[in-house]
Amino acid sequence: MLEIKNLHVKIADEGAEILKGIDLVIPKGEVHAIMGPNGSGKSTLAYVLAGREDYEVTDGDILWNGESILEMEPDERAAKGVFLAFQYPMEIPGVAGLTFLRTAANAVRKKRGQDELTTPAFMKLVKEKAASLNIDVDMLKRPVNVGFSGGEKKRSEILQMAMLEPSLCVLDETDSGLDIDALRIVADGVNALRGPDRAMLVITHYQRLLNHIVPDKVHVLAYGKIRKSGGKELALELEKSGYAEFQKDAA
Amino acid sequence: MNVAVMKTKAETALTENFSGVADALPGGADVRAARTKAIGRFAANGLPHRRIEEWKYTDLRGLMKDALPVAVGDQTKTTIADVIVAMGALGRIEAPRFVLVNGAYRKELSNLDGLAGVTVSPLADTLKDDAAAKGLAIAEEDRGSDAVLALNSAYVTDGAVVDIAAGTKLEQPLLVVHVRAGTTAQLAVSRNQIRVGDGAEVSIVEMYVAVPGAVADGQTNAASEVQVGAQASVAHIKVTTDLGSVTHLATCLVEMGADANYRAFQYTAGVGVARNQIRATFKGEGAKLDISGAFLARKSEHIDTTLFVDHAVPHGESRELFKGVLDDEARGIFQGKVIVRRDAQKTDGKQMAQALMLSETAEFDSKPELEIYADDVVCGHGSTSAAIDEDLLFYLRARGIPKEQARALLIHSFIGEAIDKVDNEAVREALMSEADAWLAASV
Repeated sequence: MLEIKNLHVKIADEGAEILKGIDLVIPKGEVHAIMGPNGSGKSTLAYVLAGREDYEVTDGDILWNGESILEMEPDERAAKGVFLAFQYPMEIPGVAGLTFLRTAANAVRKKRGQDELTTPAFMKLVKEKAASLNIDVDMLKRPVNVGFSGGEKKRSEILQMAMLEPSLCVLDETDSGLDIDALRIVADGVNALRGPDRAMLVITHYQRLLNHIVPDKVHVLAYGKIRKSGGKELALELEKSGYAEFQKDAA
Repeated sequence: MNVAVMKTKAETALTENFSGVADALPGGADVRAARTKAIGRFAANGLPHRRIEEWKYTDLRGLMKDALPVAVGDQTKTTIADVIVAMGALGRIEAPRFVLVNGAYRKELSNLDGLAGVTVSPLADTLKDDAAAKGLAIAEEDRGSDAVLALNSAYVTDGAVVDIAAGTKLEQPLLVVHVRAGTTAQLAVSRNQIRVGDGAEVSIVEMYVAVPGAVADGQTNAASEVQVGAQASVAHIKVTTDLGSVTHLATCLVEMGADANYRAFQYTAGVGVARNQIRATFKGEGAKLDISGAFLARKSEHIDTTLFVDHAVPHGESRELFKGVLDDEARGIFQGKVIVRRDAQKTDGKQMAQALMLSETAEFDSKPELEIYADDVVCGHGSTSAAIDEDLLFYLRARGIPKEQARALLIHSFIGEAIDKVDNEAVREALMSEADAWLAASV
């Protein structure tokens, strides 16, 4: 279970507070969506969950399975099962996709006390997962994300997620830059990972993604706070009314 | 600079040592005369210093405090096993090799089996033939002002003379291994002459290495002359992994015939002071040139790459990519001068130099220089120096890769992009593992 308690965050070295007291609970097995206008703090929340150093938590706590993760390094969090699918996946020139996946998979396996994957076991796993995401294994021989289209980058993120078997998946604007076909492939990949032991936080600006990844709950984040929570129908309401209402609230 | 300057201790010794060793240096009367002229040219100007533009960042007068005695002949008990160890990861490559120890050819350490269409012989032997003296002089005539090459001509003891017959295709690379060994600090002076016949396809790996236990201090003055025949394809890889306190001065002179393809790669790591200067001239139209390299330096090491690419004829293509990793107070220098002569229309030249800075105190000096006299050309250059990208580091760590491992992976990938320029798979992989070993020692 993910518990975010009264979380206040500002950008390190700057005064402005971005998150102004977030309270959010996501039990295992549930998928929650966070929607909100641009600049509401959605991506900040994603980065803070993953442990990016550019942010400073000034108050509150984040508990994952009852344990505070605030003091953990990003790689420790990954080993504990936290996974952030980036809005803008990075290109890593010179590092082949397969090398990257294997290094990452074995790093988390090692920390989780599991045996490292042998080459044949790794290849079998990666082929299987890549096929389900419509990713050509030859593409993984190329440097990570270099020269990939927007859709390929997002599929590559979901492949990483599948390989690392996280228990908390945070998807930051995974739908941005995707056409309908790519969106469906990515959504199918995410849905395949839904399960009773996994919690998911889907961050999106548009309702479109939530037609494919149907959430258990929807929260509206605006001006650094959760302004409203509801069922999946809340996303449809937002699609009609927009975020204007919440901008008034903040004023 | 015509300013009279007091000769330094090293300059005086480098000049005066000549008369003491001249009799012991190989060659007949013509060679002796060429050597004497060369030492005269050196004596006139002394060591290059910072007021000479091409040596602005590598002030040899300041960096070379002492002149070491010239190594003449080699009496060390160096074994094949020593040589293999000295070669590091490249020692695992099965390939014919020509081995010199302290500037002298050692037949019993070499293995030149299976080289059809190729003759390799020691320069010391050919120097005894008067025609070879002309070979030395030719390289000197139009480049006489360079002090490093003048010293090379004056003191050269040995080297590999490689003749590759037209149309020869070598499967394996030919290794020319220059080894430093022994407990006496010396100046080793060598010169290779490589002539590749028309249409031949070869890889040559020139190495400068030290056996374990070799004296830490030493100096190397190495030169290579490469003539690439028409339509010939040559990969010329230079690997310099000598010890941290050695001063390594290297000159490579290349001439390319029509439609030739010359691909040079320079790997330099763990050397006290290194200066790699390469002059490449397009003699025939339609030739392609790629000079790339990787350099890794830490502590107070200093690695200088200075290129001079001369597009003398039309339709030439040149590419340069140099990448360096600099830690501690290390200094990297890249100077890339490309001249496109008035007649050299349709020249296509691109140059890039990049340094990854692992410390606040490392320094990278990059000086691209394009001199273009033709009006229908495509030429460009770029240069960057930056620390490790924090965003990339976070991305890797968010995937569970611990910080140190993530850093190592990023540095590996940075330098790997340059090493990828090496076509020969065995050599490329060996260089990558050399780089990884260097990186592992820095964490």
